[in-house]
Amino acid sequence: MNNFWTTVAHTAGRRLKSKAFIFSTLSMAILVFALTNINNIIDAFSSDDADRDLPRVAVIDETEYGGLFTDMLSSYEDGRFQYVETTENLDSALDAARDDEHDYVLHLSGNNENIVAEFYSNGNDFMIAQDVNHDVQRIKEAVMTNELGLNEQELALIYYPVLFNELPLHEGGEVQTVETHMQAYWMVYFLVFAIYMIVLTFGTMIATEVATEKSSRVMELIVSSVNPVTQMLGKIIGIGIAGLVNLGAIVVAGIIGVSVSGDDFFDMIFTEVLDPTLVFYALLLIILGYFVYGGVAAMLGALVSRAEEVNQALQPLIFLAIIALFISIFGLNTPDVAFIQVLSYVPFFTPQLLFLRIGMGTVPTWEIILILAILTISCIIIMFIAARIYKGGVLMYGKFSFKDSLKQAFTLSKKEN
Amino acid sequence: MTLVMNGIRKKFNNDYAVDGISLTVDRGEMFGMLGANGAGKTTSFRMILGLLDPSEGSIAWEGKPLSYKRTKLVGYLPEERGLFPKLTVKEQLIYLMKLKGMSKGDIITEMRHWLDRFQVPEYENKKIEELSKGNQQKIQFMAAVLHKPELLILDEPFSGLDPVNSDMLKSAVLDMQKAGTTILFSSHQMQNVEELCEELIMLKQGKAVLQGNLRKIKRSYGMKTINIHADFDLEFLRSVPGIISLDKTKDGAKVKVENEKIAEDIFYNVAETGFARKFEVEEPSLHDIFIDKAGGEKNE
Repeated sequence: MNNFWTTVAHTAGRRLKSKAFIFSTLSMAILVFALTNINNIIDAFSSDDADRDLPRVAVIDETEYGGLFTDMLSSYEDGRFQYVETTENLDSALDAARDDEHDYVLHLSGNNENIVAEFYSNGNDFMIAQDVNHDVQRIKEAVMTNELGLNEQELALIYYPVLFNELPLHEGGEVQTVETHMQAYWMVYFLVFAIYMIVLTFGTMIATEVATEKSSRVMELIVSSVNPVTQMLGKIIGIGIAGLVNLGAIVVAGIIGVSVSGDDFFDMIFTEVLDPTLVFYALLLIILGYFVYGGVAAMLGALVSRAEEVNQALQPLIFLAIIALFISIFGLNTPDVAFIQVLSYVPFFTPQLLFLRIGMGTVPTWEIILILAILTISCIIIMFIAARIYKGGVLMYGKFSFKDSLKQAFTLSKKEN
Repeated sequence: MTLVMNGIRKKFNNDYAVDGISLTVDRGEMFGMLGANGAGKTTSFRMILGLLDPSEGSIAWEGKPLSYKRTKLVGYLPEERGLFPKLTVKEQLIYLMKLKGMSKGDIITEMRHWLDRFQVPEYENKKIEELSKGNQQKIQFMAAVLHKPELLILDEPFSGLDPVNSDMLKSAVLDMQKAGTTILFSSHQMQNVEELCEELIMLKQGKAVLQGNLRKIKRSYGMKTINIHADFDLEFLRSVPGIISLDKTKDGAKVKVENEKIAEDIFYNVAETGFARKFEVEEPSLHDIFIDKAGGEKNE
């Protein structure tokens, strides 16, 4: 047990003291801090007379309503562009636009029901075009309502929304509101990516660490003092601790950033998006997922002789993580399809897919417990197999190939008598 | 109070890397393990350390197998040297020796003692990758002995060392033995084995081809070498039955014969032909025995 903690401290300590680790943690923390304060930063750089720089839409009004559209459009302020009245004809307005006097030209013509709007742009401004379309439509509705002689109450009757209620089919069931759905959606999205990143970075770290100790041949000396299984677990935990420090620094930077920025958006995330139950499941699944993938990564690291071969050996594991990522992103919109339910029982996919199912749909409690039990048991089994291969692998040198290396590792670690 | 290996065999796939070795090493003894490359020395050491399980037979140190619970008792210098290249001498010894159960304070005291002894106290805070190979080996040796093990296993301790460092290491090994450490070591360099060991085993393809007390082995070993200095051609001796080889030297020839009786025949043959200024029957060197028994490669 003593040697276990010595290994944990050694592994974590080396990571935490390494310049690369300090640099990447700091830069991630600064990035997160900057992102949470993005509005303040933009404000600091943009000048006060910003509205003069807004894109200008020149409006040529040739409708039968004689400038009514232009008047109403000019009164709109949505902060992204402004409407400017022009008395020029279309050709000269277009020439002026080409000379950068204004950015877009809106040509309105027609009468009554047939209002025609032509919007001239550079061709990649579909967002603005959409907004302009929307604005013109609104004005047309207002003008027509007026023409028809409807008063405000009559108008309100037309637009008064239907009372729409969604109710559970089964007694005691729950219906996700839009908020809870979005809340779950973002958390699932975040966790799926988090697991992917953790597998990629920490899995590689574990495997590289093992392979480096092997290639510098210090491994044989270490395993003559520490049981390889103890050493492997010590490494996985040690790197896990370093990872938590990394994650913690980023979270702290985020919290500080939010409190400095005073932005409502982030308050909303903290109070409404983060659901404590989901956070609990997320942490649990990240930890179990880390052990599943970390165990395999350590085993693969032990199979190679040189650090350069680590990537080759890790490929299958990374493929699994990528497949899980794609399935989860696909499943965000269809969490109840059968293959996602089935795959959520497979240990390598459980962390992502079970969380997806808990977050996006309703999974019965017995199923959550069953899947978590399967994950925990397979975690232990993977650790046993990994430890066995690790024990043989650390004494093994030569060219790497999956089949031969695995076979040789099993021979070397053979328990006899 | 001994290391006992009893009928040890180790099978890899279909071959036996070690095939039926039994030996006993008494406490405080220096025991040599000889053999060509691939003879099974390192595999034997790994089995003693518990890194590999023997397929058959048993190994015990003072009656019990060596397990990770008793890892403090053993010091090991692997054949493939390896330390953490990026860590300083101090950092690495602290980690490696903590694994042997030492406290940080003791590690630093002992480390300074040994660095002084090896005349390299300035290396304490140097990274391993900055040291020369010979100096790395001193640190590697320290990693095997700093915790004062009861059993010290040295796999090729002298390979790659210059004569000065080799002697420095040799005297350190002898001091360890005087302090009561049981030492098991392997070497290709027969001269070192002759200087250091009382007892030895010689392996060939996993089997013991020779085993016992060095002096007794040499005395009872049939093969003798005769050194003859004479002015006439000694080529005619090749026809004497029982002669193994004849190498001409500038003064005469060195002749290897099967036993002392043949040496007598040679003597009379030479005396009949003419005057010999020197005729000396030597006991075989370990080098000769090694080549005769472990065979094949020269000077390995």
